[in-house]
Amino acid sequence: MSQLEKKAGLLRRTSSSKKPLKEKVVLMYDEIFVKDDPAKTNPRFWDELFLMKVNLEYLETKLESLDGDEVMKTKDNVNSLFHHCVQTLAEEHQIKVVNALQTLCALFRGVHQKNKSASGFDIINMLMGFDKAELRMKDLMESLDSLLCGEGSESLKALCLKLLLCLVTVTDNISQNTILEYVMINSIFEAILQILSDVSNRGRHGYDAVVLLALLVNYRKYESVNPYIVKLSIMDDEPTLDGMGLVVGQALTEYNRQYKDKEEENLGGFFSTLTSMVGSMFIADADEKLSVQTNEAILLALYEAVHLNRNFITVLAQSHPEIDIPTTPTTPISTTPTTPLGTTPPSTDVMNSSELPLDPNLQTSNLLITFLKYSSIVMQDTKDEHRLNSARLCLIILTCIAEDQYADAFLHDDNMNFRVNLHRMPMRHRKKAAEKNVPSRPLVCAVLDLMVEFIVTHMMKDFPMDLYMRCVQVIHKLICYQKKCRIRLHYTWRELWSALINLLKFLLSNETVLLAKHNIFHLALLVVNLFNMFITYGDTFLPTSNSYDELYYEIVRMHQVFDNLYCMVLRVSTNAGQWKEPASKVTHSLVNVRAIINHFNPKIESYAAVNHISQLSEDQVLEVVRSNYDTLTLKLQDGLDQYERYSEQPKEAAFFKDLVRSISLNVRKNVSLTTLSQDVLLKEFSTIS
Amino acid sequence: MGDMEQEQSAARTEELQQHTPSTASSVSISSSPSQSLSSSPSSGPYHHHQPTSSSPTDSDSPGAPSPTLDVISEGLTELTLVIDPEVAKKACQEVLQKVKLLQGEGEGSEGGPDHTLVNGTVHNKPTDTAAAGGGGIIKPRRIHEEDDPDSLTPGSVKSARRRQRHNPSKQSWLLRLFESKLFDVSMAISYLHNSKEPGVQAYIGNRLFSFRHEEVDFYLPQLLNMYIHMDEDVGDAIKPYVVHRCRQSISFSLQCAWLLGAYSSDMHISTQRHSRGTKLRKLIFSDELKPSGVRARQPLTLTPFNPLPTATPALHGHGVGAEHSLSPTKRTHQRSKSDATVSISLSNNLKRTASNPKVESSQDEPVRLTPQREFIKSLMGIGKRLATLPTKEQKTSRLISELSLLNHKLPARVWLPTAAFDHHVVRVPHTQAVVLNSKDKAPYLIYVEVLECEDFETSNVPVRISETRIRSTRSVENLLDCGITADQRAGSFSTVPNYDDDNEAWSVDDIGELQVELPELHTNSCDNISQFSVDSITSLDNKEPIFIAAGDIRRRLSEQLAQTPTTFRRDPEDPSAVALKEPWQEKVQRIRECSPYGHIPTWRLLSVIVKCGDDLRQELLASQVLQQLQVIWEQERVPIWIKPYKILVTSSDSGMIEPIVNAVSIHQVKKQSQMSLLDYFLQEHGIHTTEAFLTAQRNFVQSCAGYCLICYLLQVKDRHNGNILLDAEGHIIHIDFGFILSSSPRNLGFETSAFKLTSEFVDVMGGLGGDMFNYYKMLMLQGLIAARKHMDKVIQIVEIMQQGSQLPCFHGSSTIRNLKERFHMSLTEEQLQVLVEQMVDCSMRSITTKLYDGFQYLTNGIM
Repeated sequence: MSQLEKKAGLLRRTSSSKKPLKEKVVLMYDEIFVKDDPAKTNPRFWDELFLMKVNLEYLETKLESLDGDEVMKTKDNVNSLFHHCVQTLAEEHQIKVVNALQTLCALFRGVHQKNKSASGFDIINMLMGFDKAELRMKDLMESLDSLLCGEGSESLKALCLKLLLCLVTVTDNISQNTILEYVMINSIFEAILQILSDVSNRGRHGYDAVVLLALLVNYRKYESVNPYIVKLSIMDDEPTLDGMGLVVGQALTEYNRQYKDKEEENLGGFFSTLTSMVGSMFIADADEKLSVQTNEAILLALYEAVHLNRNFITVLAQSHPEIDIPTTPTTPISTTPTTPLGTTPPSTDVMNSSELPLDPNLQTSNLLITFLKYSSIVMQDTKDEHRLNSARLCLIILTCIAEDQYADAFLHDDNMNFRVNLHRMPMRHRKKAAEKNVPSRPLVCAVLDLMVEFIVTHMMKDFPMDLYMRCVQVIHKLICYQKKCRIRLHYTWRELWSALINLLKFLLSNETVLLAKHNIFHLALLVVNLFNMFITYGDTFLPTSNSYDELYYEIVRMHQVFDNLYCMVLRVSTNAGQWKEPASKVTHSLVNVRAIINHFNPKIESYAAVNHISQLSEDQVLEVVRSNYDTLTLKLQDGLDQYERYSEQPKEAAFFKDLVRSISLNVRKNVSLTTLSQDVLLKEFSTIS
Repeated sequence: MGDMEQEQSAARTEELQQHTPSTASSVSISSSPSQSLSSSPSSGPYHHHQPTSSSPTDSDSPGAPSPTLDVISEGLTELTLVIDPEVAKKACQEVLQKVKLLQGEGEGSEGGPDHTLVNGTVHNKPTDTAAAGGGGIIKPRRIHEEDDPDSLTPGSVKSARRRQRHNPSKQSWLLRLFESKLFDVSMAISYLHNSKEPGVQAYIGNRLFSFRHEEVDFYLPQLLNMYIHMDEDVGDAIKPYVVHRCRQSISFSLQCAWLLGAYSSDMHISTQRHSRGTKLRKLIFSDELKPSGVRARQPLTLTPFNPLPTATPALHGHGVGAEHSLSPTKRTHQRSKSDATVSISLSNNLKRTASNPKVESSQDEPVRLTPQREFIKSLMGIGKRLATLPTKEQKTSRLISELSLLNHKLPARVWLPTAAFDHHVVRVPHTQAVVLNSKDKAPYLIYVEVLECEDFETSNVPVRISETRIRSTRSVENLLDCGITADQRAGSFSTVPNYDDDNEAWSVDDIGELQVELPELHTNSCDNISQFSVDSITSLDNKEPIFIAAGDIRRRLSEQLAQTPTTFRRDPEDPSAVALKEPWQEKVQRIRECSPYGHIPTWRLLSVIVKCGDDLRQELLASQVLQQLQVIWEQERVPIWIKPYKILVTSSDSGMIEPIVNAVSIHQVKKQSQMSLLDYFLQEHGIHTTEAFLTAQRNFVQSCAGYCLICYLLQVKDRHNGNILLDAEGHIIHIDFGFILSSSPRNLGFETSAFKLTSEFVDVMGGLGGDMFNYYKMLMLQGLIAARKHMDKVIQIVEIMQQGSQLPCFHGSSTIRNLKERFHMSLTEEQLQVLVEQMVDCSMRSITTKLYDGFQYLTNGIM
């Protein structure tokens, strides 16, 4: 789709500056695309070629313009070009290496643009020749590996990663990229790890390395054994894991910062003079201005790490000072600082700078907090496709986290208290919460806040059913953990209860619209069962006896909603139809809620009558509740504390396939070799050679 | 000249080392003088340069330059030899000669110093034949020869000798005392401090070697303070012992160095730089006292003063202990170098492997003091940085991240000096650390995971287990135990059949089914399955329903909330309250489960308070007095309970404190519980008549009596509820001895009451007239009588520390006199009883009249 444009763009961008050199190299390219071996006439042809500045556009266009016959004619020469590129990578002359890398890029891209319809095997044949493909790719990967791991130039390493990203994203669907089969066989996983574990390398190339890894992991994920999946899942090297966490954390922090800057810009400029009432009318505009391009690639990397690697969970809680400034260390801190204790080797950069910067305003943060903040921004607006996907991915990651016992342990750790300033959508009926007043609490409170916030803010016509399901499931998983481990979290559960009741109310009032698209009974069942958890197991995880009373109070107060829900599900379940079964489940699940309502409502009414009070205060109702527990019998429901564990395979596969496709497109767009301008490279290498 | 000699001696040392241990042992074992002289290879080289360093007296004693003397002079490299070692030796031997004389061992070689000096080893003969008691005395003499080449000025020695000659009887009594079994460290320190006779001081210096290490360690602050601030004779007497111990132990070295620094700090800066204390400190830090070179020769120095290993128990213990610690150390050290180099190369190769836990495997530090110093330094650094942050919350979160960085450098050959056993620190569970309450400083409490080991100097440093390994030890099954004890679970969930009116129709089968189900609910299995079974919520209709009463759920909730040991509410302004309230055992269990090292059997949890910016010297002094009093009361069988806690002084403004576990301050108790102390006791321990309450009450009374006495004797001021802890058993424990003796807050003079006794305290004791209150007063009286009996031991601790000290507690000139007066030596027991009554009365009413006035009147009236 955009390939033509892009090509044009590339031409336009560089043509002016590169004209003087174009002639010679173009001539040489032309020589390749004839039948004869160019080396025949000029034995030093290849040597000379790699001393020339590469003309990517021309090469790519040329490759693209070849038709079937020409392909067969020039195949040997293209093979030869590829072969010499790979050979040149091993040379010491760095300019030649750079040119070879760029030529390879052009080859991969050109061939793919041309052969959109052609199968992967044709491409391999055209580039390398079937018989030699394995050998060529092995050499290529080995060269790249040693360039990445060696002590060589930073720009060269960057270029290697660009080449790999280019190779990985040449096809829209990564799994159709047959060349990657060789990347599976000749793993560069270790090179990626090394980049992540090394301080200076991580600063410069960490981002590309993480994205590359995330993409590679998604190659034929469900069909074959992907060695990157296997290796990622068993990796347990602490510095590397930390490094990966830092890269992800930094990217997310950067996003959060950009968003905040934009938000402040908007508030400062335009809204400050308007009242909040008027201002809220413009929110739609503001939202568009506020939208910063989300970064699904890095989020995917976070997901893969959390999902595949058990050990990565610990990295989430690894606290580090909040880095507000995008810090790509300009000067490599290559000399490992002498470890004061002299025993263990240094591990990571932030970890290693012997002292943390002394800034009282600097909040201690960790990857999880950064991620929660990021999620809160992304979830605010789920209107466009990208953001919806981002929000979904955020919720999937949270699901994985909520299922993990260790993650739960530190989420609930009473000793790890943090202030997490979640972003809240400005809404008409509420003021923007004063951010500074967020108390310092265990992290799970922030997760619950985020879920409550989502529930409250997304009751709209275009109902994100899937997100709601995930959201309620996350809450359920957290409560299951609390129940199991008897953790009495001091959380204002009331907010959650009222949010859930409001959700039920919304489902009821939009029944017809929603039923056309979604199975709302499933969601309703989950919500009611959350209440059942509180009702039957409240003694194991509620923080105070009063909170149990408050639960009853809330249910009784909002009894109308439950009554209506019951009527609705009863109606649906008595009619035959596709919703009969799910609706009847909801009917059953409501038994305790209804018992409570039916038990206490008359008691409260009679209390009011006896005392001649028209409107009972909360305390009075609570008093009635307290004194009437003993005559209420509840039914113990099965399986309230059971849940289906998250699994990617059947259900989410399609989502991830699409996600990876969109990430691939995005990465391809952004990997421009011209960003790494040849001038910079040449300048660098002129001093070397 | 001195330098020259040092170099030479160093060279000689190496030579000596090469001369196989057998020579060394032959020297040491020999009891016959001739053998010992001839067989020592080092005496040869020694003679070469002896004249350069030694004085004319050298010629007096041709036999004197023994190999051992040579050895030690190398050890004292930093000293310039201005004093003739032979003179020192003479003086010392004179004293010992007296001993021999008194022993009347038939030797007859009495009196003449010339005789003695003819041959340095002459005394071995009598020793060999001597009774058990003699061995202990001879042994130190040898040390002295070796260790103290430069102790005394000739003048003083001569005068001492003269005096000795003139008062043989006095001397003999003294010596008889010295050699008696009653002579303990306390007396040794006392004589060292009080005696003006260099000979006696030198003798005691040697005698120190015969005491057990722990005994002397108690008086280390005193010893070092004397070393710093008293005249040279005392210092010279102490030094050999200190140097000897430093060589043996890193821990001792560091402790010495820290104390030396702290106690030198009051000196004027110019004198401080050249003071002996500073020099010794530098020597220790320069790590020249390392055992590497010395250890090879250790048997040489060791065995001579241990000719009869079984002679005295103390001696025996010492010898064995020393040998234990020495020989393996040497071995380790040799290995250590290769280990270190190997691991360095390893750590560089760390890159390519995905997981390499073995990289940080055991390695010894080439520089033996550095890791520990760095460890302490970084802890102090954290404290300094925390102090700059404005709020508790920021401090806490910064502390956590700082400690998590520290974790990356552990395990290492570092340890907590406050601990009672040898260990290596492997991890700081950083999330457990809390900042303590303090206005401008930032003391903080950390928990430290350690692995117990044989000897922290020689045992291998544990291999680092990465934090991620926790996953393997923390499977779902293990997790279930976390936080829930068995009985808690048992009581937690029971579906009680409800025979409500509408449930009459229940069949027997239903109940049977329930009963089958019950045990399952009790066990973990139910929960286990729940996480994984996809078998979901649909089975409702299949089974007969189980009914539960809402009232039961509510009741269980409140019961369990009441049952769980009352926890404190988290308060960002007082983060330590919650952390300290948690019962220690539970905390240990909890942290152990979360630690990657938790599965190792030698895993232990320690805690320590890091104080930065606070002078802990007074705390140390108070702690010593408390320990002494505790011993006294135990000895005299007074059932008073006090809890001295360990103090580590690392400089004059930093240090570490061993926290008291299971104790929170009364302030925190009252703030959190919002009730009176008595009600809190009732809540925590049960009603008045329960045994638990009575035990707690007794504990309270016994500890209260102890601390009231201490507050009176030491004049502990600034007693507010934040400085008084209450432990889980009901004991009170006073902390923070920042204002004692002559100092009080803002120096407004004495607080009027003798100690803090509020009506709340009295209420806990059961009121004014109650038995327990009388018991309390009786304990005070008994305690005071017992303390009075051993007053000297207490006074001495304080008095020595007054030397050269600028500490506020020594302000004024009458500190010691006043302290002595508070023991009321002149009163009869009846009068003491009146005094106690008076003090209690006075404290109760907090009358502003001076206690002492009233008492004066009373006593004067009687007298």
